[in-house]
Amino acid sequence: MILFSAIVLAALQAQTPGQQASAQLPPSPIAKVVVTPAKPTMVARDTLRLTAQALDARGKPVDSVRFRYVQSSGARFEGRVDTTGLVRSGSTGTIPVTVVALVPGTRPVTEVVEVKMLPGPAASVVIDAAPAKLVVGQQIVLSGTAFSAAGDQRADKLSWKSSAPNVARVANDGRLAALAAGKATITATTGSASGTLAVNVVPNTIASVEIMPATVAARTGDVVHFSITVKDAQGRKIDGLTPSWTFSPGQGMIEQDGGFVGYEARPYTVVATVGNRVAQAAVSLTHRDARRQATVVGRLPRTRFSTEEVWIHPDGKHVYLGSGGGGDVMYAIDVSNPAAPVVTDSVVSNTRRVNDVMTTPDGKFLVFTREGASDRKNGIVICSLEDPAHPKPIAEFTEGVTGGVHSAFIYKQEKFGTHIYLTNDGTGALHVIDINDPYHPKEVAQWKTERPDAGRSLHDIDLRDGLLYASYWNDGLVILDIGNGMKGGSPSNPKLVTQYKYDLNDLYRQVELTGGPGFIRGTHTAWRHKNYVFIADEVFPASGVKGAKDAAAGRAYGRLQVLDVTNIEKPRPVAFYEPEYGGVHNVWVAGDTLYMGAYNAGFRAFDISGDLRGDLRAQEREMVHVHTGDMEGKVQNSPDTWGVVVKDGLAYVNDNANGLWIIRIEPKKPDVVP
Amino acid sequence: MWFRSALALALVASTAGAQAPDRDYTVLVASEAVDLITRITFGPGAGPTLVKVEGTTKVGINPVDPDGPHGLGLSPNAQQYYVSTAHGVPYGYLWKIDAKTNEVLGNVELGNFPATLQVSPDGGFVYVVNFNLHGEMVPSDVSVVSTDPFVEVARIQTCTMPHGSRLNPAGTKHYSACMMDDAVVEIDTRTLAVARYFVLKKGSEKGLIGAPRGQGEPGTGNREPSDHAGHGMSPPKPGDVSCSPTWAQPSADGRSVFVACNKANDIVEIDVASWTMKRRIPAGDGVYNLAVTRDGKLLVGTNKRGKSVSIIEIASGKELARVPTQRKVVHGVAISGDDRYAFISVEGIGSEPGTVEMIDLKTFTRVASADVGQMAGGIDVVGGGSQALR
Repeated sequence: MILFSAIVLAALQAQTPGQQASAQLPPSPIAKVVVTPAKPTMVARDTLRLTAQALDARGKPVDSVRFRYVQSSGARFEGRVDTTGLVRSGSTGTIPVTVVALVPGTRPVTEVVEVKMLPGPAASVVIDAAPAKLVVGQQIVLSGTAFSAAGDQRADKLSWKSSAPNVARVANDGRLAALAAGKATITATTGSASGTLAVNVVPNTIASVEIMPATVAARTGDVVHFSITVKDAQGRKIDGLTPSWTFSPGQGMIEQDGGFVGYEARPYTVVATVGNRVAQAAVSLTHRDARRQATVVGRLPRTRFSTEEVWIHPDGKHVYLGSGGGGDVMYAIDVSNPAAPVVTDSVVSNTRRVNDVMTTPDGKFLVFTREGASDRKNGIVICSLEDPAHPKPIAEFTEGVTGGVHSAFIYKQEKFGTHIYLTNDGTGALHVIDINDPYHPKEVAQWKTERPDAGRSLHDIDLRDGLLYASYWNDGLVILDIGNGMKGGSPSNPKLVTQYKYDLNDLYRQVELTGGPGFIRGTHTAWRHKNYVFIADEVFPASGVKGAKDAAAGRAYGRLQVLDVTNIEKPRPVAFYEPEYGGVHNVWVAGDTLYMGAYNAGFRAFDISGDLRGDLRAQEREMVHVHTGDMEGKVQNSPDTWGVVVKDGLAYVNDNANGLWIIRIEPKKPDVVP
Repeated sequence: MWFRSALALALVASTAGAQAPDRDYTVLVASEAVDLITRITFGPGAGPTLVKVEGTTKVGINPVDPDGPHGLGLSPNAQQYYVSTAHGVPYGYLWKIDAKTNEVLGNVELGNFPATLQVSPDGGFVYVVNFNLHGEMVPSDVSVVSTDPFVEVARIQTCTMPHGSRLNPAGTKHYSACMMDDAVVEIDTRTLAVARYFVLKKGSEKGLIGAPRGQGEPGTGNREPSDHAGHGMSPPKPGDVSCSPTWAQPSADGRSVFVACNKANDIVEIDVASWTMKRRIPAGDGVYNLAVTRDGKLLVGTNKRGKSVSIIEIASGKELARVPTQRKVVHGVAISGDDRYAFISVEGIGSEPGTVEMIDLKTFTRVASADVGQMAGGIDVVGGGSQALR
C-alpha cells in the first residue's frame, strides 16, 4: 500500500501543471431540499407522487433545478420509484428514496426520505383454525389476522365478541370459554372489517378421554400422530371434538393436528385437554442414531481452477466435473476404481465457467453450460458419449443466451422425447431446447415469471414426473407443468402450477445485520422427493468480516426448507435444516437420505425417512459431516462443498475449492441403505 | 495459471530506438471473468523487469458468480477509481474505490450491463453507458452519477446498445457509440440531454438533431438482432455496409470525434462544429476501442478481431504501424499522460490470462507485458488515459 501510494504521488508530481487536479465543481446554490410529503406513507400497491422544492440559504426557491428521484439500496423487490418521483408500491415495506436536486454545472444536493408502504385499511379478518365444536367447560385461545383488500397482513389488535356470551364467552384477548350448550357466533373485529367463527357448544357429557397412542416408544425426529377418543358415560363416542395439545418437558414441537416430534432422547408427556378432561400419553424417545461413519474412498484434487458441478454417467464408471473461476474445461474422470480416480480426457470450450453438467438418461450424450465466453455467445455444448471416457462436442446452442447459461437439466418424457431445460443468466427466462436430434438442438419454448425485470433470476431446475421445479431466486419456487398434464402443459408450452414465495429478507435478517443491506439471497435449488420439495437458499453477506482476508473473510448462510406438496397448489413449509456454520447449496436424494454440499459446512447427509417436521438438525437426523478442507487444492484447507451425486453406495462430492471427493457412508445395522 | 507469483512476466524488446521508461506508470485494469482489478507498475520502480503486478482488488457482491467488472476510470486527481460491473441480476453497478487503500467506498445500481465509463474533467460526475448486451434491442441509456454524494443524478436515453464513450476535453459534450443503431450520440452535459446524433452507415452518413428513434429507423440500425451477441468478434457478412460502432473518441482539441466502426474496419472522423463527416480512416480488423495522444498527433485503435493495435497519424490518416498483440481479443487502450506509451488490454480466450501490453509510441513496438486476470478489458493509467485531454 505504501509503495502504491508513493507511486501515485510520484505520478501526480510528474504531471504538467495543466494536468493537476482539476477545478472543483462549484457549490450548488441549493441550501435545502424540501420533499413533500415529508414523511411519506402510502398504502401498499397504490401509487404516491413525491415532489420537491429547492431553497437557497435565504429560504427562497432556486430556479432551473432538475429533480431526480432515485431508489436507494433496499426494498428493491417491494416497489419502485421512477425518476419523476412516482412511487409504485408492490407490497408492504419501506423504500429509501434519494431526491437529487441538480443545477447543471454545480454539485448536486440530495435529501433522503423513506417511503413507508403500509397495508391498506382492514378489509377482512381471518380467524385461525379453531375447533367448531366445544364442550361446556372447554377453553381455547382464539387468534386471527386482519388483511387489507389487497391481502396484506395488518398488525391490528382484534376485538372479540360473542353473539351469545352465555353460551361462549370470549375475552378481548381471544380467550374463549364454552359456558353452556348452544350456538354462538364469535366475531373478531378491527375497524369495519370482521371475521366470524361459528361455535357449537355441546353439553359436557365426557366421561373419558383417551389419547392414542397412549404409550409411544420412538426415536428423536419420528413424527407421532396423536388423536383422541372421547366417550360419554354410556361409552358412546363423542365425535368432532378437538383438544388443546401440549407437551413437556424438553424440546420439540406439536401441532394442532396432533403431530408431535421430539428432539431429545428422553421421556415426554403429551397432553390433550378437552374441557375439564385431560388425557396424557407417555412418550419415550431414544436417540435416532442416524449418525454414520464416513470413509473417503478416493480423491482427485484440482488446483488450477475451482470446480463446479459433478455428474456421474449411468454406467457408474465415469464422472464429469466442471470448472469455474475462469475455467474453460470439463473433465472426464474414470472412477471404475473409486480409490484412484483418473482424468481420462477433458473438453476445452470457449467459456470461463462450466457450472453445470448432465448426461441423457441413456448416457449417450452430455450437456454442459457456458458462461463468460470470449465471443460472449455462451449457451450450452452437447457432447457425444460414444466413448464415455472421451466426450466429443457435437453441437452447441447459443441463440438468445448471450448472458450465459448457469444450469441445464436434460429430461426425457415418452410422449415428448428429450429436452434440455436451461436458465438464461441475462433475462431470467427458462428456455426449452428439443434435442431429439442432439446434433441439431432447437428451441421450442421460453417461460419467465411475470414481474418487472428487476430481480428476475432463474438459478436452477429440477424435473420429476412431468413437473418442473424452478428455483427462481426472488420469486421463490415455481412449479410448471411441462408434460404432467395437470395444467395441460408440455415442453413447448409450460404452464404454471403454483408459486411459493417467502420473505427472504425476514428469514435472513441476521445476515443483513451482519454484513449490511444488499446481501445476496434467493431460492437456489429444489428437489422433489415423495410428497416433499426440498428448497435450498443461497445466501452471502454484503460484506465480509472487516480486516479479515482469504477464507476468514466470508462465509455462506442459508436454509434448506421442506415443503409439503400433498396439495401441490398450496405448498406448506413443515421442516427445515440449517447448518451451524455454512450454507446450503446443491442437494441429492437417494433412498431415504438427503446429501448436500453445504459450502463452509462441508459435505452433509441426513436421514429423511418418515414424516418430516421441525428442525431436522435438532432432532438428530444428521448422518454424516465431512469437512472437505484439504491442503491440496485451489484454496487450501477451506471447505467450499458444492454438490454431490450418489450412485452405487458412493457419494461423489465436489468441493469448489479443491476438487472431487468420493465418500462412502458406512452402513449401520440394521441397515439404512443410503 | 495467470498469476503464478507477485512478479509478472516482462518482455523488453531490443528493437532499435526502444528505450526503457525513465519514470513509473501506474496502470489499472479490470478482468471481467474473475472480478478483479489489477494494479501494475511499469517503469524503473518495478525493478529489473520494468513490470510489476502490485496487487489485485476484488470487486463485486456475489462471491460465487462473476459480477463482471467491465469499464474502469480514474478520477482526475487519481484519488479514486470507478468500476462498472455488468453481470447484475439483472442490473449492474458502479463502484467507487479508494485508489490509495483500494477500499470499496460505495456502489450505485445502474441499468442493464453498465460498460464504459469516464469521470468528468471537474471530477464531479461519472458517465456510464448501460450497454444492455443481453436484453431486448430497445433504446438504452447513459447514467450520470455524482461522485459526491455518490448517487445517480440522471439517466439519459440515447440509443440501442450504447458502448464506447468519452467526454470532450472541456467536459461539455459526451459521445457514445450506438452499436445497434449504427450511430453516435452527443449529450450536452450542461443540460443532461441528447443534443445530436450521427448516422454512420456507409453511404448514409449524416448528422441529425436529437436522439435516434431506435433500431429500424431508416438509414440506421443493424437489421439482424443476433449480431450483437458477438460483441465485436463477428466479422461482417458480405455486402454489409454497416459500421457497428464500438467507440467514440473526441480529438485532443475537441473539434472532431473519431468513431471506431468495428464491422467496416475503419474510423469515421466527424467534424463537431458542422456535424458532418470529414473522412473515413482505414484501420485493422474489428477496430474496437480508441485513444488519442494529447499532442493531437496520434490515434491508437485496438483491433479486436485482428489481434493487433493500429497507430494512425491523425493529420494524414496514415496507419504508421500495426503492432501485433501476444494474445487474441484485443480490448482497451489508455495512453500515458506524456504520450509515450499506450497500454493495451487483451482479453484472451478461455482459461488463458488476460494481458496488459505496453507499446512504445516512439518506436511503435511492444516493449513489455503483464499477465492479469482473464478477460482484461477496462483500463486506465494514472495521469493519462481517461483523465487526459484537459
